[in-house]
Amino acid sequence: MSAPPPTVAPARPEIVTDAMPRRRPAWIENATSGDHKVVGLMFIATSLTFLVLALTEFVLMRVQLIVPESTIIDPIIFDRLLSTYGATAAVFFGIPFGLGLACYVAPLQVGARGLAFPRLASFAYWLYLFGGIALYASYLYNPPDAGVNPLPPLSDDVFSPFAGTDAWIVGVGLALLGFVLLAINLIVTIRNHRAPGMVWRRVPLFTWSAVVTSYVVVFTGAVMLAALAMLLIDRNYEGVFYDAGEGGSPILWQHLSWMFFNGAYVAMLLPGFGAISEIVATLSRKPQFAHRAMAGSFVAIGALGVLAWMQNMFTAPIPLGWSIVGMAMALALVVPFGLVFFNWIATLWGGALHLRAPLLFALGAISTTAIGLAGEVAHSVIPVAWQTSGTVATSMDTHYALIGGSVFGGFAALYYWYPKMTGRVMGEGMAKISFWLLLIGVHLTFAPMFFAALEGQVVDLGEYYEGTGLDGYNLVSTIGSFVLAAGVLTTLINAVYSVRHGIRAGHDPWAADTLEWFTLSPPPPHNFDAIPDVRSSEPLRDIRDGVRRRTEGWRPPRPLERPAAAHAPASEEASSSEESHPSGSGGSVA
Amino acid sequence: MRRPTRLVSLSLLLGLLGLALAAPGAGAISLAPESPHSPNAEDLRSAYDATLLVVSLLAIAINVALILAVVRFRAARDTVPAPVRSGGRVQLRVGMLLGAIALAIFVFGLVVAVKARDLEASGPEGLEASSMRFAQLGLKPPEGGEEPLAITVSGQQWLWRYEYPDGTFSYHDLVVPVDTTVVLRIVSTDVAHRWWVPALGGKFDAVPGRANTTWFKADEEGEYLGQSAQFSGPAYPTMRARVVVLSATEYEAWLDEQQTGIQEAQEAVQEEIEAGTQESAEPEAEQPGDAFEEGTDEPSGGGGKEPQTEDVGPDAPAAAPGGGDVE
Repeated sequence: MSAPPPTVAPARPEIVTDAMPRRRPAWIENATSGDHKVVGLMFIATSLTFLVLALTEFVLMRVQLIVPESTIIDPIIFDRLLSTYGATAAVFFGIPFGLGLACYVAPLQVGARGLAFPRLASFAYWLYLFGGIALYASYLYNPPDAGVNPLPPLSDDVFSPFAGTDAWIVGVGLALLGFVLLAINLIVTIRNHRAPGMVWRRVPLFTWSAVVTSYVVVFTGAVMLAALAMLLIDRNYEGVFYDAGEGGSPILWQHLSWMFFNGAYVAMLLPGFGAISEIVATLSRKPQFAHRAMAGSFVAIGALGVLAWMQNMFTAPIPLGWSIVGMAMALALVVPFGLVFFNWIATLWGGALHLRAPLLFALGAISTTAIGLAGEVAHSVIPVAWQTSGTVATSMDTHYALIGGSVFGGFAALYYWYPKMTGRVMGEGMAKISFWLLLIGVHLTFAPMFFAALEGQVVDLGEYYEGTGLDGYNLVSTIGSFVLAAGVLTTLINAVYSVRHGIRAGHDPWAADTLEWFTLSPPPPHNFDAIPDVRSSEPLRDIRDGVRRRTEGWRPPRPLERPAAAHAPASEEASSSEESHPSGSGGSVA
Repeated sequence: MRRPTRLVSLSLLLGLLGLALAAPGAGAISLAPESPHSPNAEDLRSAYDATLLVVSLLAIAINVALILAVVRFRAARDTVPAPVRSGGRVQLRVGMLLGAIALAIFVFGLVVAVKARDLEASGPEGLEASSMRFAQLGLKPPEGGEEPLAITVSGQQWLWRYEYPDGTFSYHDLVVPVDTTVVLRIVSTDVAHRWWVPALGGKFDAVPGRANTTWFKADEEGEYLGQSAQFSGPAYPTMRARVVVLSATEYEAWLDEQQTGIQEAQEAVQEEIEAGTQESAEPEAEQPGDAFEEGTDEPSGGGGKEPQTEDVGPDAPAAAPGGGDVE
């Protein structure tokens, strides 16, 4: 807007054909693009690659645990797998998958033409990619081996002298910096670039979840970056932040890192939750039950989820009072989570359920996250956690919830928005196979862990002993991990295959109600030719109704009714009813 | 056409689930952890049972509602459902119901947690008053009972070391008298560990720089197994613990025996040092520790730290003055 005045005034209009920018190779176009769709797709594709890596590591660890006292994988290598698995699953798959979906979909949903800071988004992606490369390049020399959450002193330079832990810190740090930048970008975009009329109460639920996730990532990502910087200083420049012997405190790292991991947990759940909300409403042909309460619940989940970080520290040497604060925050989460589940089922109830792939995966997500989060409620009760924390029961619940949110929920989102991204629908047959494999795989892998925990199996264990009653559970769990992996791979193969071979989708294959379906599939670089006025939380429904009203027998307006209708506030309730407004500016529907 | 396939896949899923649950030793399935043998472990068990019930109901309720919704409202073509939206009142009611559940769990958890931290007095079969003070440990003392036995549990890569009030110490096996209140002061000399013996109460972290406390009162003689629950490096799976509960007299006999063993070893070390053959001293010093470790093989390639050999040496002389204090 405020560009300086041109120094050389254009003398005459002319068309200079030889000044057209030369078309560069596609990969350069993509690598340097600031288009939120391209960046979003790169985030999604990269995070799914990391999902495959995480899955490989997980299956390898399960293979080691297939029999008691097994020596299939060396303990040191097991620790390396474990340490990279945690970072890969949460930091390099979970968070960027959600943020990538948000980066692709949220600007479309709010009717923006692009991101507020296009180049920042591209920069964020490269930070993320090089963070991942930094972590995995350590496999060439000395991979990290200080555990999923590398607690000092184990992760300091005395007990982890090799550079692998530095690679972990730098890799996670670079990626987090990228996520924080992308999250800031998304917040600014969604705050400032919404279509006219799209006030906050009309913002679609997926975008709501994207905003809350972004705030959570900005806050907890910054906290973790500080924690990582201190650990890096401790390791390389003789810092004493976490050194108890020198007046530092290892507990400090626990506080900071758990704040981040709680944030990561929320960031892995919420985009899935937002997508499920859209899918459940669209494919049951009903409006979202309690749109505002859902948005409010997302906000509450984001805030309380981060504040509850001390639910992970009930066994730490901190005063009981702090544990009680953690328990209070964690249990307060029952209300927003419960409302979300209630409203999903209330949306489904009485609807006309079209069990297409997105809805199928969304249902799987609701079912598994319900189990996982119920378990988390149990682990946030202090006396229960004193027995169950650190056992495989906690890892079971975390996996139920996060596979529910990030894999089931994320895949539901992928199936749902894939037609928008590529113009083609992903294969339904493979989707069904993948769904059942995933569902069976999740239960087979993680349900036995509950019983193994009762026999005393603790987390991160590379080996267990004969005669401890754990053999059967671990055997079943290992078999399950293969089924789970097959389920994930089926969907990924489906996604790759459908790019060229999927059935052509058209612009609005699900008859959905949000703005992203208003444009072409895939959308043009500028997203929308004309951005419609938004008058409800379901702008596309209004447009469709408007078109129908115009085409089905146009009547001259009745002037006498006009003033009465004008009194009615343009609230959500009024918008979908008969004729409170005569068709938005949606005459231009394709 | 569709229904049979759905039924088949559903029954397949249920069958597999059943298999998953039934496979590991038929009849051995239990829904509760190891049965408690200490009052605080009993508190934790009651909290576990109640919470398991509530959260299972929550998870089952959501899943049943979900399945019912899918079965009932699967679309026949062209059904157009009524656009139902929710007013705030429903949300408020559901929210208040959930809030009430959460509050109930919170209050219950709070009460049990505080109760489980309160020490109980030693029973009649327990050891007579020990001479150890514990006021600085941050636990509420029992009313009118004997002072409890205070033992320092020290986590090290990858074993547990126990220091008894009279300065005696042992590795791997914690030996305690039955029916006696034992206060554990949990510390770490290297990285973070987590003390856990399921039958005798909850887990507590051993973190360098800050002591943690817990207690138990074993109600039965026997052996109770435990395992560190905090990842601590390559040999972390071997970091198991065993609590051996003896009668009060047996315990005192064991203490004497242990103390003589340690003294003999220290004298042997001292002699060797004086003889100027310090190289062979350290393996010798390991003996008292070895006598009580069993079945725990020190892993090879443990990455540079040898707490066993390093610790017994320096600690052994230190133990003698510690014992002298008590007398």
